[in-house]
Amino acid sequence: MSNPAETKPLPIKVITISVVLIWLFLAAFPFLWTMWGSFKVEGDFFSRANWFNAITGPVTERQHGSPFTLAGYEGAWIEQEFWKAVINTAIVTVFVVIISLTLGTLGGYALARSGFKYTFWLLMAALVFRAMPHVTLVSGYLLPFFQLNIWGYLPTTIIVLVAINQPFTLWMLHSFFLSIPKDLDEAAMVDGCTRFQAFRLAIIPVMWPGVITTGLFSFLLAYNDFTVTSMLLSQENQTMIPQINAFLGSTQEEGKVMYAVAAVVSAIIPLFVLILFFQRQIVSGLTAGAVKG
Amino acid sequence: MARLRLKNVNKRWGSFVGVDNFDLDIADQEFLVLLGPSGCGKSTTMRMIAGLEDVTEGEILFDDTVVNDMDPKDRDISMVFQSYGLYPNLSVYENIRFPLRVRKIPKEKHDEMVMEAVRMTELEDYIHRRPAELSGGQRQRVALGRAIVRRPNIFLMDEPLSNLDAKLRVSTRAQIKNLQSKLKITTVYVTHDQIEAMTLADRVVVMNAGKIQQVGTPTDIYDNPANVFVASFIGSPAMNLVQGTLENGVFEAEGIRVEGLPLAVSGNVTLGFRAEDAEIVEGPAQISSPVYSIELLGEASMITWRLAGSLVSIKTHKEYRADIGAVVNAAVPASICHLFDTASGERIAHG
Ligand SMILES: Nc1ncnc2c1ncn2[C@@H]1O[C@H](COP(=O)(O)OP(=O)(O)O)[C@@H](O)[C@H]1O
Ligand SMILES: [Mg+2]
Repeated sequence: MSNPAETKPLPIKVITISVVLIWLFLAAFPFLWTMWGSFKVEGDFFSRANWFNAITGPVTERQHGSPFTLAGYEGAWIEQEFWKAVINTAIVTVFVVIISLTLGTLGGYALARSGFKYTFWLLMAALVFRAMPHVTLVSGYLLPFFQLNIWGYLPTTIIVLVAINQPFTLWMLHSFFLSIPKDLDEAAMVDGCTRFQAFRLAIIPVMWPGVITTGLFSFLLAYNDFTVTSMLLSQENQTMIPQINAFLGSTQEEGKVMYAVAAVVSAIIPLFVLILFFQRQIVSGLTAGAVKG
Repeated sequence: MARLRLKNVNKRWGSFVGVDNFDLDIADQEFLVLLGPSGCGKSTTMRMIAGLEDVTEGEILFDDTVVNDMDPKDRDISMVFQSYGLYPNLSVYENIRFPLRVRKIPKEKHDEMVMEAVRMTELEDYIHRRPAELSGGQRQRVALGRAIVRRPNIFLMDEPLSNLDAKLRVSTRAQIKNLQSKLKITTVYVTHDQIEAMTLADRVVVMNAGKIQQVGTPTDIYDNPANVFVASFIGSPAMNLVQGTLENGVFEAEGIRVEGLPLAVSGNVTLGFRAEDAEIVEGPAQISSPVYSIELLGEASMITWRLAGSLVSIKTHKEYRADIGAVVNAAVPASICHLFDTASGERIAHG
């Protein structure tokens, strides 16, 4: 068995590998730099004297007796109570994902199987709303939310994020369902299932990769959102991203910027865990062919 | 075990008529085949019986119960789909067990029932495989096994052999026939392949454009086609059909003249006869015309003429040779002829 990569001429191989390496470096460098720097003090990470200080950390050593310090993490997590923002983010993302997926699988399935002509226009309309900048939607919400006295709470934000995310979820799951032959539901119904049982027992097991991929996109939307959460949440209900932004905004106080850096690194970790955990499903979900029987 | 009745069943989508006034009584344990060209409404009819498609008008009865508003699961049927419809995430064993599981049949009976179906479909060596790891023929047998595991009232099969290669089709066909006669379950089988229909059916329903053309035993349909459509659809090669005029019991068209036909009819008629009934002869005969082509089929030769615009073929012994363009005569006695009204296409009389 000859691997196609091995049969390529040498110059092409060199070029391919260099491009991949350069790309990897460009993509990974900012992250690695930030991660390394998060264990330093501001004087090193934002050193005016020598950028190399960010790597060796002389100021950190002078202040804390070692080139590494957890001061940034301590300040963010304990002093500034970043853990509260983490909990808020967890609540928001978990609920957004669960609600989006529930509505999306049921709605996507119904649209895929109904065969009505309006399906296409419904999905088109949904896509238009998804394409709008979030800020245009959110500014419209502000006044009614103040008047109804529901501004600042997590459930309000969850509902708005679900509303923004739903068209996309619906669209994506709809196309996954379309790729599953109708014979499968029909076989299940003849075998003794109700429509809902056919959905649950025959379709969903085949749909897992699609559901997980769509779920991941919903998760990312809720997790990374800044516009909606920063405008709709009160100070005590703040989620991670607006919180990090607030740390960055207060540069006059020495050291607070390092809280932001530490918080950023903390915020990235869950994403890595998630992608490692679900990578097989995500890959087969993105290459939708795997859904077919 | 059930008798199945369709009373003037109609299926329409908007103004499009999928099935037109389908009226049929299917006896208990009968093997009924719906035969017709693609798009003629066979699947739609079957799906209405299964409850997968609503009936626009008319009634479907299982024994004496109207099932129009019953869900598929309550109809006690099982169905084999053209694309099999197997559950890709389940093993062969679990695929076959699925109907037992969802119908809440006591667990301790499952293994015995599944293994019996596995034996009948000869899948013993594959029970732990997933459908993706099976060949087309094996998948088809899993679908069959899943259909028989739970002795339903009625079997429905929608072109179950059309995705198999020719050889496998013949052996699976025999297996289906054998299973049905052992299980004695009323079966409705859809196909566009007339050989499948002829070999399997107790009775054949020939359909075209949503309408029943003829209902009868395979012999019936072969020997007495009810109209030009059935005559041209059944048989291989199909019946020869020549348009001409009938006067005083004599049929005439370019290159053909048949005497001794019924005196009662006259006017524009279509004369039909089967390739294997006619015979090449020396000397004067009913057909006398230049040969259009000659084909060697292996076991026989086929001589073709062009008469009044239609191609007419006759089979003869395999050593027979003739030049294209040479005049060849053939005997087409009145006794082998079928007459159809040219305008309506309906059968008039047997010669
Ligand atoms: N859901 C539908 N909407 C409109 N027309 C349909 C639908 N399903 C089938 N048809 C039409 O009905 C006719 C009969 O279809 P079908 O019963 O599947 O034919 P076949 O005899 O090949 O099984 C076809 O012309 C098909 O295009
Ligand atoms: Mg069909």
